[in-house]
Amino acid sequence: MSTVLPPADPTGAPPALRGETARRFYRTSEFSLAVISVVGFCVLAVATDFNLLSGGTLGAFFRFLAVPIVIGLAQMVVLGVGQMNLSVGALTGYCAMTAASLMVEHQVPAVLAVAVAVGLGAFVGAVNGVLVVVTRINGFIVTLATMTILEGLRYGVAGSGTLQGYSPGLQRLGGASLLGVPVIFLAALGVAGLVAFYFRRTVSGRSLLASGGNPFAARLSGISNDRSLVVAHTLSGLLVGVASVLVVAGSGSVNTSIGDDLLLPSFAAPIIGGVALTGGAVSVVGTVLAAFIIRMVDVTQAQFDIDRRWVDLVVGVVVLGAVLIGRVREAVAARMRGGAS
Amino acid sequence: MTARDVTVPASKPPETPEVDEARTARPGRGLPFWANPRLGLVVVTAALVAIFGSLRPAFFNERLTIVPLLADVSVFLIVGLAQLCVLSLGHMNLAVGRMAAISAFVTGWAYTSLSVPLYVGMVIGLLAGAAVGGLAGLIIARTGVNSFVVTLALDFALLGLVTLLYNSVTGGVSFAVRPDGMDQLRNDTFGDYCAGDWCGPSAIPLVAPLGLIAALVVGYVFRYTRLGRELLMTGSSERAAQYSGIPTGGRVVAAHAMSGTLAALAGFLLAVNNGAFSANIGEGFLLPSFLAPVLGGTLLAGGAVSVLGTILGATLTQVIYKGLNLLGFVLDELKIYLGVVLILALSLDRLRVVLAERRGVRP
Repeated sequence: MSTVLPPADPTGAPPALRGETARRFYRTSEFSLAVISVVGFCVLAVATDFNLLSGGTLGAFFRFLAVPIVIGLAQMVVLGVGQMNLSVGALTGYCAMTAASLMVEHQVPAVLAVAVAVGLGAFVGAVNGVLVVVTRINGFIVTLATMTILEGLRYGVAGSGTLQGYSPGLQRLGGASLLGVPVIFLAALGVAGLVAFYFRRTVSGRSLLASGGNPFAARLSGISNDRSLVVAHTLSGLLVGVASVLVVAGSGSVNTSIGDDLLLPSFAAPIIGGVALTGGAVSVVGTVLAAFIIRMVDVTQAQFDIDRRWVDLVVGVVVLGAVLIGRVREAVAARMRGGAS
Repeated sequence: MTARDVTVPASKPPETPEVDEARTARPGRGLPFWANPRLGLVVVTAALVAIFGSLRPAFFNERLTIVPLLADVSVFLIVGLAQLCVLSLGHMNLAVGRMAAISAFVTGWAYTSLSVPLYVGMVIGLLAGAAVGGLAGLIIARTGVNSFVVTLALDFALLGLVTLLYNSVTGGVSFAVRPDGMDQLRNDTFGDYCAGDWCGPSAIPLVAPLGLIAALVVGYVFRYTRLGRELLMTGSSERAAQYSGIPTGGRVVAAHAMSGTLAALAGFLLAVNNGAFSANIGEGFLLPSFLAPVLGGTLLAGGAVSVLGTILGATLTQVIYKGLNLLGFVLDELKIYLGVVLILALSLDRLRVVLAERRGVRP
């Protein structure tokens, strides 16, 4: 469900009768996304002669969905306060390389390396947030700069080499399945649940949305906008750290190119999922469903042996289509309300 | 060259005391001279040139360093100007690199299939860039969707399209064709052209004037033409511009079309510098496109641009690249320093403004 602060509700209607709520649910973008996901998945299953539903393929489908979900959430958190984080891709790579290098070159136990990766992500995120608050430079530019720096640092960890042969326990966990569902996908869903809880039920999460929706009103209500910015960037970095652990666990080796292809999908998932760039509203379910849809495009490409580049083309068109449809729906809804009153 | 620092003049009576000016105007207007970010860029660039030159005398070698440096500055100056055009509105163009790529494809295709001369192909490419940019502008103006989202999606779409087009037309990733005059444009400097006994300076490559012309044209547009002033008005306050009778939708399309055209020009020059029209043109454009104007004092919020600052920003960036390259740094290590420079420069800028304001308020 979409988490919007009451004042930001575009319809402006009071929380109404149950029937009304249900009708409004059918109109949410989450509902459309869910329908698209289910229909798309069924069509894809039939088109591949149910090859998609065979154990191995289905496992791979969900295994490679885990990282896009968490990265999409990392971007969503900063979008919630009206900021952007361009450093998600480079930071994922840097954390993954650091964790792998600790295990391979310094024989650090896997648990410690995982903790370092997550902590490092949160630390860099906090640095982003503090820089934004202290210098008052646009968050776009700050994270553009840290992205560049992190790309350099990522290269510095192991040069152009590949790190492999780290902790077999971690790799086994990455390849493990619970009742046919990959463990790392369950981990990603767990993270999504925590993020949803954070935005729905905690004071910190609510004030973050308040800062994003209307900074002036938030300040008058006693919320520190500066703190919201730092918290959002730190949380984003933390989620990136988690994603980097999933990357390390899910693949047998990491190299410098890790994270290069994550920046654009990180924006695609929340934007298709209906998160506004202006802040104040987030949608965990929408982001997860959008990541699912993008993954379906990916799988279609692999199943039918289509040129890899078609995926980029299709995802680009889908993002454009999603925002256009959103606008059309708003316009139609506005006209219907106008006609009724 | 005069300072092309262009701002929409705030409507206030001329007798407004200087104190208020310092508090309300953006840096560079009404602030002490040392608070001008452009001056800082000149000082830093000069200092870096001196340091690199003393560490590696090869930095002053014409053939090895100066000529390629000026060629790169020209390309990235135009890339920065492409971003500046939309920044004037408070928009962004994340597809700047891919617009260059698709235009370079069209140019290469024109040379191969239509066998057009060098500059006709360039114009065809510029038109293609203008069309793609205009399309982005049209979508933004019609739907009101954030320019970031639209150009991001367009970047995705073009990324796929460019590779598919190269695959189906050339079967590879580049055109083999080289029209007449391309090699001269790539290799020659003004030293190769003599009028009697007098030869041009051999340190300046042939492509450099193109960058300068582009900068002059963009500066002229923003300073002296109705279109430029209306763009800055729209960037300053879209609603106010609308009430003043400016067709803001049309201006959005115009700014993005200009951005696409300049991106196409940058793609053409890079292809000439590289010696081939290939699919990877424009891949590294995104970061420099923001670096040059932002370092030069152009605001992301819109309503103010600085063409001179963009020239200085592009020069500083390329001096850092070339200098660290000569000192033996790998490209990926260079990135650390570029990012640090960007943050430091902007933080110092902020510090300067705060200090200047304080001095202005309490003299």
